[in-house]
Amino acid sequence: MDVREGPSDAEMVARVLGGDREAFGLIVRRYESGLLRFATRVLGGRDAAADAVAESLVRAYRHLASCRDPTRLRTWLYRIVANRCKSHLARRATGDVSLDDAPPIADPADNEAALERVEQLALVEQALATLSPDKREAFVLKHVEGMSYQEMAAVTGERIPTLKMRVHRAREALLKALEERS
Amino acid sequence: MNPIDSRIHQALDGEIPREALPPELRRVVERLESTAALLAAAPEGRSVADRVLARLHRQARSPVRRLARWLTAPHPVTLRIRPVWSLALAATLVLLTLLPEERSALVLGEHEGIAQFVARFPGAHSVQVVGSFNDWRTGTIPLEDRDGDGVWRAVVVLPAGAHEYMFVVDDERWVPDYSSNRFVEDDFGRENSVLIVQPVKG
Repeated sequence: MDVREGPSDAEMVARVLGGDREAFGLIVRRYESGLLRFATRVLGGRDAAADAVAESLVRAYRHLASCRDPTRLRTWLYRIVANRCKSHLARRATGDVSLDDAPPIADPADNEAALERVEQLALVEQALATLSPDKREAFVLKHVEGMSYQEMAAVTGERIPTLKMRVHRAREALLKALEERS
Repeated sequence: MNPIDSRIHQALDGEIPREALPPELRRVVERLESTAALLAAAPEGRSVADRVLARLHRQARSPVRRLARWLTAPHPVTLRIRPVWSLALAATLVLLTLLPEERSALVLGEHEGIAQFVARFPGAHSVQVVGSFNDWRTGTIPLEDRDGDGVWRAVVVLPAGAHEYMFVVDDERWVPDYSSNRFVEDDFGRENSVLIVQPVKG
């Protein structure tokens, strides 16, 4: 687990519930980069991800009193974002991922290694986009966000054996998609 | 999709040490790990913190929201009454006290109905109901157990239509109303009970 500085999650939640709205800013700043990364990978676009995370955080603020175990704030927030992403994907006609904004463009001043990294990232993003939403979510939670299967169960509401199977299938599908593109 | 050697999954799930894998399988593990590392290290876009906090500030400043909060949240009220009005106030209070109970019943608007919440929580110190009708805020609709038999009740006027709700027991336990016929899963993975309020004046 990551080591953090500053007040604990439980302290921040208590401060917000006590009327200190600014303390919610600390929660946002602590978790937004992970939530944005997760939503970007699941939705396949940074703009859609920013919308999903912003909406989720506003909802989280309004329902913070129902976060029954503030020590599990992280998985609670991921759960809200995961559900918001599912709603977003369900609204899309085909359910597939469209790369609605361009991948990061390397600065011409960057060296060759950086350019190669950008190309590799584009390749990996395309391969990830071929996975079904469930598999993509499972792979990202496990390997990009570094969650345990227990944490993933708290986020998705699924049983651990189901999640293990999804991660296994996602690895296989991703390897196949990468091979096809290399 | 081609199934891959199960030892790759075991190594990635931390069930066996990767040193136990033959070199060709270790290369597959490393490929998947480097793919994940690439995704994890990529920039995730602009911060949404300012956007979220600005929206919370706007909500807090909304006059409608402030009025609703003032009307529904318990708070002390101090009344300063001029001597000349005190007699009139006393007379009004006497009248209200003498009115039959039916007259002081809940007053309903055209699109409102009566909702009765009943829940059995023996041993609970407090029970309240939160839902879409009170913005899921505690401290606004307490249930009462006057005879101490563990059955808690509240009767409130709500707008007609469907409302999601839960009970909050002892200020910490959020429990759906299991006697409800309808449930809906919310964004937080809980099952909320659903109540349909019929307008009294259809």
